Amino acid sequence: MNLLFYIAAVVSVLSTLIAITRVNVTHALLYFILSLISLATIFYTIGAHFAAVLEVIVYAGAIMVMYVFVAMMLNLGHATIDQERAWLKPTIWIGPSLMAAPLLAALVFVLLKDTSAAEMGHTVTAAKQVGIALFGPYVLAVELASMLLLAGLVGAYHLARK
Amino acid sequence: MFEFVVGSPLNIVLILGAVLVAAALLIWVERRVLGFLNERLGPNRVGPWGIAQSLADVGKLITKEDWVPPFADKLPFIVAPIIVPVVMLLSFAVIPIAPGVGIMDLNIGLLWVLAMAGLGSYSAMLGGLASNNKFSLLGGLRAAGQMISYEVFMGISILGIVILSDSFNLREIVEAQHKHGWFVFPQFIGFIVFVIAGLAETKRWPFDLAEGESEIISGFNTEYSGMKFGLFFVGEYIGMLLLSALIPVLFFGGWYAPFGLELPNAIISGIFWMCAKTGCWIFFFILVRAALVRPRYDQLMNYGWLVMLPLSLLNLLVTGAVVLAQGN
Amino acid sequence: MNIDLWPLLIYTLIVVVLVPGLLVVSSLLGQRRQDHATHDVYESGVVSTGSAQLKIAVPFYLTAILFIIFDLEAAFLVAWAISIRESGWLGYTEVFVFIFILLAGLLYLWKSGALEWRTLRQQRDLANLAGEGGVVNVGARAAAAKESHHDHHDDHGHDAHQAGHGGAHH
Repeated sequence: MNLLFYIAAVVSVLSTLIAITRVNVTHALLYFILSLISLATIFYTIGAHFAAVLEVIVYAGAIMVMYVFVAMMLNLGHATIDQERAWLKPTIWIGPSLMAAPLLAALVFVLLKDTSAAEMGHTVTAAKQVGIALFGPYVLAVELASMLLLAGLVGAYHLARK
Repeated sequence: MFEFVVGSPLNIVLILGAVLVAAALLIWVERRVLGFLNERLGPNRVGPWGIAQSLADVGKLITKEDWVPPFADKLPFIVAPIIVPVVMLLSFAVIPIAPGVGIMDLNIGLLWVLAMAGLGSYSAMLGGLASNNKFSLLGGLRAAGQMISYEVFMGISILGIVILSDSFNLREIVEAQHKHGWFVFPQFIGFIVFVIAGLAETKRWPFDLAEGESEIISGFNTEYSGMKFGLFFVGEYIGMLLLSALIPVLFFGGWYAPFGLELPNAIISGIFWMCAKTGCWIFFFILVRAALVRPRYDQLMNYGWLVMLPLSLLNLLVTGAVVLAQGN
Repeated sequence: MNIDLWPLLIYTLIVVVLVPGLLVVSSLLGQRRQDHATHDVYESGVVSTGSAQLKIAVPFYLTAILFIIFDLEAAFLVAWAISIRESGWLGYTEVFVFIFILLAGLLYLWKSGALEWRTLRQQRDLANLAGEGGVVNVGARAAAAKESHHDHHDDHGHDAHQAGHGGAHH
C-alpha cells in the first residue's frame, strides 16, 4: 500500500506540473484528468475509499468532462495555442512561484514536524459513515448544498442565454 | 483440482481471456443474428458457420495502416480509442461470476463501475475533438451529451438496489437477492431506467446517434481506421457484454439458479447460470438493434431529462419510504 | 481492514499494457501509403470546405451544466442510499427536500424553454409547416392542423409557402 501511495503521489505531482505547462488545452486536460485519478488512488491508499471513488466520479468524470466539453464547443484550434504560448513566458512564472514557495515551505515544515499520524491506512472511512455524518449532524450543510446547486443551475442557464 | 479464490492469478487470466473471447464471439453472433433477421446470411465463410470471423477481422485490422491524420491533434487522437476497452475491461474486475470466481471483491464495486462508465465518455469526446473534422466534432458532441446525461440516470436508478441490499459490493448485492428475491420486482422502474440508460451509455442501437452514419458519416470515429477503429469497435462490444452481465447481477439474482435448478457443483452451476442470464440479455440487445429505429437527438435528451430523471428519483424516494416504514 | 488490492493492480496492469500493445503491434505491421488523397479530411468523398471549427448550439452547454448539477446531486444521494437506515426519517425528509428543490429547478428550465433544441426560427417554421406535406411527427398539433386543413385549405398552403420562402432568405 505504501508503495502504491508513493507511485500515485509522484504521478500526481508530475502530471499536474505537465498540465500547468501545456499550451494545448486538450493536452493539459488529459494530464489534469490523470492527476485527478492518481489523487483518487492516494485517497484509496489512505483509507478514504468513498472519497476516492467520488473523486473519480465527480472530478475526473464530471467536472473535467465539462472542461473538455467547453474545449469542444469553443474549439478555437491553433489560434489559442499560439496565444497561450505567448502568455506562458518564463517571466510570468516568477510572481506565482515567489508566492507559492512560502506555502510549500510551510507544508514541508508541518509534515516534517508532526509525524504522529504518519501511519497510513489505519482508519478506513466507510461510505456508510460518510452518509450518516452528512444526513445526521451536517444535514443543514446538505440543504445549503442543494440551494447552491439550484443557484448554479438557474444562473448558468441565464448566463448561457445571453 | 483447481482452487477458485477471488483474485487468484488463475481467475485473472481466465476472466480476461473469457471476456475477450466472448466479445469476439459476440461480434460474430450479432452480425449473424442480424443477418438472419434481415433475411440474409451474415458472415459464414471463416471456420464452421463463420465462427472465426472476428479472428480474421482482427488479423486484417492489425495489418492495416496505423494512420494518424496530419491535421489531427496527435496525443488525444491516439489516447481516445485506448480509453474505451480499458475502462470497460476494468469494470469487469468487480463483476462476480460465481462463488470464488471474480477478480476483485471491492466494497465500493457498484461505484467503481459508475466511475469507469464516467471515464468512458472521454473516448468519444476526445476522439471527436482531436480529429479536426466537422463530422467527428458533431459526433463527439452528441456522444458526450448523450453519455453524460444517461450516466446520471444510470447512477440514480441503481440507488434503489443500494438501499435494499445496504451495500455497494456486487457480491453482497447478489447474496441479498438470494435472501430477499430478485430485485427486478421491487425495483422495476429502476430496472427499466437502468436498461435504457445502459443502452444509451454504450451508444448501442437505437441510441447510436453519436455515429448516425446516415447523418454524420460515422460520427466521432470518422477519421479512425485500422486498429484504432478496431479498439473503439471492440470497446463497444465489451461494454455491451458488461451491461448484459451487470443486469443479472443487479436485478436477476446473479449466479444463483432460478426455480431451484442448481447444477451439482456450486461453481459450475454459478458460471453456467451467470453465462445463461448474460446470454439472454445479449440476445435481447441484438433484437433491440434489429427492431427499433433511432430517435431524434432532442427527443433523446428531453426523454432523458424529463422522463428518466424524475422517474428514477421518484423510484428512489418510494423505495426509501417503504424501507423506512418497514422499520428495517 | 486493509483489503488486498493486488489482483486489481495486476489486472489493471495487464489491461493497460494489452490494449495499447495492440496499437503498437498494428503500427509495426501496418503498411504506409502516400497517395495523393491519403492525408485528406474524410467527408464521404466530398472535398472539404471551411474549417472544422463550428459554432455549437447552446443546448449542448446546458446539457453539460445539467449533468454537473445532477451528478453532484447523485453523489449526495449515493451517500444517503447507503446510510438510509441509520439516518432515518430526518435523512429522508432532507433528501425529499433536496430532490424537490432540484426538480423544481429542472421544471423551471423546462418551462422557460431551456430544453428546447430548435432555434426560434425552426420553431416558427415547424408551427407553419405542421400538416400535410410539412414536417411530420408533431403529434397533437399535426392532428389539429389536419382538422383545420379542410376549412382553410388555401390559407394553410399559403403559410407553408411563406415559411419555405422565408427560410430561403435567411
